[in-house]
Amino acid sequence: MDIKKIVRLAMFLSLAIVLSILESFIPIFNGMIPGLKLGLANIVILVILYLYGFKDAIYISILRVIMVGMLRTGLFSITFFFSFSGAILSIIMMTIFKKISLFSVVGVSIIGSIFHSIGQVIIAIFLLNTPNMIYYLPYLLLFAIPSGIITGLISKELINRMKDS
Amino acid sequence: MNKNDLKIIFFIIITAIMSIVLINLNDETGQIAHIYYMNKEVKTIDLSINNTYTVLGYNGEVKIEVKDRKIRVIEENSPLHLCSKQGYIFKSTETIICLPNKIVIKITDGNELDGVVG
Repeated sequence: MDIKKIVRLAMFLSLAIVLSILESFIPIFNGMIPGLKLGLANIVILVILYLYGFKDAIYISILRVIMVGMLRTGLFSITFFFSFSGAILSIIMMTIFKKISLFSVVGVSIIGSIFHSIGQVIIAIFLLNTPNMIYYLPYLLLFAIPSGIITGLISKELINRMKDS
Repeated sequence: MNKNDLKIIFFIIITAIMSIVLINLNDETGQIAHIYYMNKEVKTIDLSINNTYTVLGYNGEVKIEVKDRKIRVIEENSPLHLCSKQGYIFKSTETIICLPNKIVIKITDGNELDGVVG
């Protein structure tokens, strides 16, 4: 691993952490639907996925979840497992859909944001013993479209600009 | 964005809207609210009586209000106050979750087998 890559990944990691913390302060629909977030950290993960591949993306994502857990929500709290499962599932699905290469960055980003929601809802159902959480999934999925498009478009710009440097 | 992106967007929107319609066709106004602390039921509340209740959450007291067959959290101690911002719920498909306080509020129509089985 060359130094440039190490430095870049470190900066990406800190960026992802800051974005995760920042977006928890942004209320969407005034908190009417539990768990609704912009998913800004996904920009970073998506860029790493396209520039360096699956392995680095999943490392940075796991580190982000652990660091945010340590800084804000507490390590191994329920919220930590929500983020963890959402992050892992979304990266796996984004990698699969990127490999299929039917979709552009924006499509892959939407897939990521959808499966982030799905992963979190599945874990919420088990950890909180609340099957009713499934009823919020359609609302989360609807919101995943605009947020996936926004993060996708930003990622696309970043990937294009960083590819050659 | 290419054609396939648009296809998947369309597919998700249709699926989500259909599910929302189906959920709203099937849900009903609940009669009983169940309060859980760390997955254990600590209080059962009749929604036909207007009252305020207090349960002990992880970060201290959680104040719950019942008004006109609807239930909400009015006061809790948490960083973002997400569950008091969520407002009133009254349908059996709705849930209030206070993660920092480890409190979950579920609504049922009152004639489920939950009490017998669980």
